[in-house]
This record gives sequence, structure tokens and C-alpha cells, in this order.
Amino acid sequence: MAANQILPKQVNESIVEFLTTEMVEAMVRTVKDDALKLSSERDTAHGNPNDGAGGPKDYSEGDEAMEAVYYKLEMIGFRVGERLIEKISKDRMRFTDNLDVVKFICKEVWMFLFKKQIDNLKTNHRGVYVLQDNNFRWFTRMANDQSSAESVKRVTPYLWFPCGILRGILSNLGIASVVVAETSSLPACTFQIKIAKTA
Amino acid sequence: MANINISCIAIIGKQNNPLYIKNFSPSHPDLKYHYIAHTSCDVMEERASMKAQDMYLGVLFSMEDLSVYGYMTNTKIKFITVLTVPDVIIKDLDMKNIFRRIHSAYVNHASNPFYEIDSQKMIKSKKFEQEIDAIGRGRAHEGGNRNSQIAPAP
Repeated sequence: MAANQILPKQVNESIVEFLTTEMVEAMVRTVKDDALKLSSERDTAHGNPNDGAGGPKDYSEGDEAMEAVYYKLEMIGFRVGERLIEKISKDRMRFTDNLDVVKFICKEVWMFLFKKQIDNLKTNHRGVYVLQDNNFRWFTRMANDQSSAESVKRVTPYLWFPCGILRGILSNLGIASVVVAETSSLPACTFQIKIAKTA
Repeated sequence: MANINISCIAIIGKQNNPLYIKNFSPSHPDLKYHYIAHTSCDVMEERASMKAQDMYLGVLFSMEDLSVYGYMTNTKIKFITVLTVPDVIIKDLDMKNIFRRIHSAYVNHASNPFYEIDSQKMIKSKKFEQEIDAIGRGRAHEGGNRNSQIAPAP
């Protein structure tokens, strides 16, 4: 063994989990603050300073600030995925078709990211793949004592980063796709990959 | 491995854009290798769709005193190595070994946060150049293999 050989990486999992959750929190906080500042500036210009500012941050979907958070987190994931796949597909045989790639994601990529495989893969054979994970690793520590609708809403931003990772992986393998994720009850969640038809 | 005489290593990106080209022999001008790399692109695409499994694509073609070998990664990055035809037979295993080292060097480079993966710019990196140089001049590994283990620790 060479003296300058670098040891295999070992990463503390708690740190990774804290980092990913904090990344989402920080993103929501900063983007929401910016949005509030913007809207309050706009409001003062219009003469009613108290509207919109100072309210508690909520995770309501559909508003512009959350769109911005979605865009940012998804982009982070995308870039991570792009680089990651260069690394993990290095010693793999060439992929034969899209299903082969999705199977690779279900098995090896999931193993690499979450130390488990996807529990269920469904496809309509026309470019839609539904990946179901009954025990998503990043959700296992999340308490679920609120009403389920509320917790689903709270947890949605945490799915955007992994969505981006999947899209980045597929994109770097030459497959354009749209990835969405949803959860109905923690810690289970499903990822839906829609692959655009290649002409 | 000692009998392999590498004249040129070229790396071609996804959109067939040149990422890196390095000439190791004084006998031909750089331009010739640009031509060769350019001509190889189509041959590689064709081979990759036929010979589905392996990333190593074997001899693409030979011209005059040069033979051209190809390798395409899953992410559609193409590596081309041009050899001066020697008197002895080149083993595929040796070539695969060379390409694997180029691939490692590329993966290491792609992991650099300052490198934009889809920017289509030529690769400019001292570390990467050193690694390719070592491969081209037939030296053994330098600085250890950083990617010796990529599987998650048990």
C-alpha cells in the first residue's frame, strides 16, 4: 500500500442529516425573508405598510416564495446528481435502455444514498416510473404527531433536493426528465419520474 | 505496458465538444490529432450502439502509422487514445487499464466544484494535466488512486 494512498471516505450520517434539513430550513427562511422584505417595500410604496409583513413563516404551497425555494433546492440537487453519477457509474456497464437506468437508480443509487433499495417500482412502459420508498431514510427522524395533512405540507420542501438529484443523474446520462415526489404518510414517499419521449 | 507508445490522449464532451487534447509525440502536429478526434466521434457513437455492454470500444480505425482506440462513459464522455503502431501486439487489457486511469482522472476532475460540468469549456487543471501526463508517458500511478473505493462503507 502506498504511503500517500487516501483512505476510503467515512461520513458521519448525523451530520449529513442535519446538513440536509438545515439546508432546506435556511433556504425557506432566507427566501421567505427576502420575499417579505420585497413585498413590504412594495407595500410602503403603495401606502399600507402593515400588510404582508411580520407574519409567521408558513410552508403554504403555491406562493411565489416557495416556488423560488423549490427552484433553488432542486437546482442544488441537480448539480449534486450530475457530479454524483460520474462517480458511481464509473465501473458500471453501459446502460441498455431507460428502464435499465431506472433500475440502476432503484438499486445502486438508492443504496449509495440511503443504504437501502427502493421498495417498489412501477412503470406504464411509456416513460412514467413510480418509485416507492416505504421508509425514506431522511424522514425516519421526523416526528409525525401533527395532523397528517399538516405534516405532509411541512415535509414537501425536503423532497425537492432528492428530486433534483434524480433529475441531475438522469440528465447527465442523457435522459431529459421531470421528477416529482409526494408523500401521503411519513416516512413513506413516492418519486415519480417522467421521461420525455425521445423522438 | 511498456511497449505501448501513446501519441495522443483526447477527451470529447457530450455535445462532441473537445474538452482536452494532449499530444505526446513530436512526429505529428496537434492539428492532426484534432482531425483524428473529430473523425472518431461518429465511429464511437456507432460502436456504442452496437456493442452495448462495455465502455471500452476497442480499435476505432487505423490510419498510416497510427491506430485509434476509443472509450465512452455512461455519461457520454468520449476518451480517445492514439497509439503509434508498434511491432508487438497490444493487449485489450492494457488499453482498458489506460482508459480506466483516464476515466479516474476525469471523475476526479468532475468532482471539483469549480468545474462546470456542462460548460463546454476546455479542461484547465494542473492536477488533471499531471495525471494525463503520467498516463501518456507510461508512468505508474502518481498520488495514489483516490477512487479506489466508491462503494459506501459497510
